[in-house]
Amino acid sequence: MANVTENREQVVGIGAGAKELATEDMVLNIGPQHPSTHGVLRLRLTLDGERISQAEPIVGYMHRGAEKLFEVRDYRQIIVLANRHDWLSAFANELGVVLAVERMLGMEVPIRAVWTRTLLAELNRILNHLMFLGSYPLEVGAITPIFYAFRERETLQAVMEEISGGRMHYMFNRVGGLKEELPQGWLDRVADAVHQVRTRLPNLENLIHGNEIFRARTRGVGILTPEAIMQYGVSGPIARASGVDFDLRRDEPYLAYGELPVKVVTRQEGDCLARFECLLDQVKVSLDLADLCVDRMRGLPQGPVNQRLPKVLKVPEGHTYAWTENPLGINGYYLVSRGEKTPWRLKLRSASYNNIQALKEMLPGQLVADMIAILGSMFFVVGDIDK
Amino acid sequence: MDCMPRKSENAGMAPTDLPMPSMGPLSRVAPKPMRFILNWGRRYSLWVFNFGLACCAIEFIATSMSRHDFIRFGVIPFANGPRQADLMVVSGTVSDKMAPAVRRLYEQMPEPKYVISFGACSNSGGPYWDSYCVTKGVDQIVPVDVYVPGCPPRPEALLNGIIRLQEKIAAESLPERYTWARSHSPSGETLLRPPLNPPEAPV
Amino acid sequence: MTRQYPEVQPELPARSRGVIALVEENCTSCMLCARECPDWCIYIDSHKETLPSPEGGRARTRNVLDRFAIDFSLCMYCGICIEVCPFDALFWSPEFAYSEYDIRDLLHEKDRLGGWLESVPPPPAHDEKAEPAKELQVAARPPRPARDAGAPAAAPARERPVREPRAAAVRAIKPPGSLPKRPDPDPDPEGNGSGPRPTRGEPPENVT
Repeated sequence: MANVTENREQVVGIGAGAKELATEDMVLNIGPQHPSTHGVLRLRLTLDGERISQAEPIVGYMHRGAEKLFEVRDYRQIIVLANRHDWLSAFANELGVVLAVERMLGMEVPIRAVWTRTLLAELNRILNHLMFLGSYPLEVGAITPIFYAFRERETLQAVMEEISGGRMHYMFNRVGGLKEELPQGWLDRVADAVHQVRTRLPNLENLIHGNEIFRARTRGVGILTPEAIMQYGVSGPIARASGVDFDLRRDEPYLAYGELPVKVVTRQEGDCLARFECLLDQVKVSLDLADLCVDRMRGLPQGPVNQRLPKVLKVPEGHTYAWTENPLGINGYYLVSRGEKTPWRLKLRSASYNNIQALKEMLPGQLVADMIAILGSMFFVVGDIDK
Repeated sequence: MDCMPRKSENAGMAPTDLPMPSMGPLSRVAPKPMRFILNWGRRYSLWVFNFGLACCAIEFIATSMSRHDFIRFGVIPFANGPRQADLMVVSGTVSDKMAPAVRRLYEQMPEPKYVISFGACSNSGGPYWDSYCVTKGVDQIVPVDVYVPGCPPRPEALLNGIIRLQEKIAAESLPERYTWARSHSPSGETLLRPPLNPPEAPV
Repeated sequence: MTRQYPEVQPELPARSRGVIALVEENCTSCMLCARECPDWCIYIDSHKETLPSPEGGRARTRNVLDRFAIDFSLCMYCGICIEVCPFDALFWSPEFAYSEYDIRDLLHEKDRLGGWLESVPPPPAHDEKAEPAKELQVAARPPRPARDAGAPAAAPARERPVREPRAAAVRAIKPPGSLPKRPDPDPDPEGNGSGPRPTRGEPPENVT
């Protein structure tokens, strides 16, 4: 935070010194519908000339009351709603719900289901990151990368659709396992798709990563300090880009991550470029993990992919907190059950909500022109903010 | 900030006050072949304004990408804002907080304007229809031409919706179009839910 | 490569969730789908009909489906209805081109739902590591003693009575907490048996 505040003081100093040049503060309203934001985030900026002196994210334009709706739906119906709040990482969201419910039930998931879930979660992570790898350059003015990113997305979405039937909302998790068995030859097609994405990823990378203009717009811009990250509960690639080395996949393994060599990508700079690089490297790590998962699944013994459930699934009384490393950060589900077939309360701790709060710290002192670069590099999904 | 275009909202309530807009005297007295050409021109140059709100917006982007590429149909996704657009695609959940903004941006579009409701949420509230803060369909605030079902609909479904819309444009005459939009525009009285009424005190 | 959609139809995977097809003959209007639907977009009306008693037997009643409608403007395409249907009356079809000018036309009544049946693809074969299908497991085992004749249901669904013991042996829930040991007896109203059901040759048997 230190250098940002310094920056601001400097500007104020100049303004105070030269009275005739002093400008009145201007309140600039960005959004809720704005071309540079995906989804409807509204920002109220107070500007001093071109510098932002105050920034306030106004959330709630996408609030859909998902948590309240959870309370009147049984655990299978919740999965449907849960994958819709962060629409780019639908699989990871479903996972959090079923992990919480399974823990409450003390249920053990068949090993093939665990590995398939891990594989699908990694594929979903790649899909999510590809979206941002495409849209972030778009926001700072480079249109082409998104075409490459979406080509890779379509490649992966094809295998996801083949197994689950959905392109975005997979609805493939069930309490106790997965909905259905894998189609024949699906693993080969996954390996093929992963291979294709890996060979074509350099296209995307070379297009933008070495680009001088892109680097000039992102390097040293929007620095987020580890202290601010701790204070605001920022997580995921954004936190790791500032050197906060924390990844639930490695530090508190769920699914089969305990048996996988999860390489945690970190950067020290904490600026927009570091966040972008983190995302790019995470895609590579996830591609490797997906390959490892495919290899392991080939060697697994024959077996089921789900548990047989009672007709009416009731979760015993109690509460639990399950968290997962979603593509965008830590996603937590606090499940309170009163022994009925619907939860009494299911609280969502969504990654974007916490991540976006840090904007209040990051934006002041920056130029308005950098606002888009910073906003885009925060990798948020508005549904995940507002739930 | 005034969240509601008050003037135009009133115009929506009393549609007869305004003169009928037209595209010059030509379109009114245009002979049939002329009208065909005018419609042909309009149907293949739909500048689209994406009102991306939720999951469906991602599928909208996917449709505009190279694999599905709706520029093939003359749908151009580079409208800078509603004022340059002919077609609004509402993709995603319209919450009650967002609804005034949707209505406002719709009012800003020049006539003749078309609306595609893309996905279950904007069709009828979809998965969130029993939520306390979700508008039960975007057709409660703006007239909708084509409803595309799906949650989210696949890109081909949007292409199908666009084709249906183009068929509709090809068959219509502009005066009919204006009366249609008027008669289907929800007036202030039909907007039952409180947040949809003009706010008393702007924030 | 750009797909030339309207000229070239996309090749969609068999599991693709496009639209729901109904086999009207298989539906017993048990209302399971309508109850389990997360946003309750299925409408079912039915009435009871008393069949003339077979000689000496008591008269039987069966449900006659009057209306089966799915509101696709509301449907969230989760597939729960298809999953819970005990009699394989619902299937996914990858068809997607049914956008409408009027939202009321998105409410598909049973004849329109039945029309989607033509486009239902056969389900894909399962992975080699998959558990063999229940039907195959059952077929591979020696015939069991006629114990399950005691089951009250007159075997409405072929796979149902034989599934439970075997499946319980394979995948027991480990420490079940307050879970019931055995699934509840089937609460479906059609459990009182309505004779063998006509199955249409068109939809393939659901192997899951």
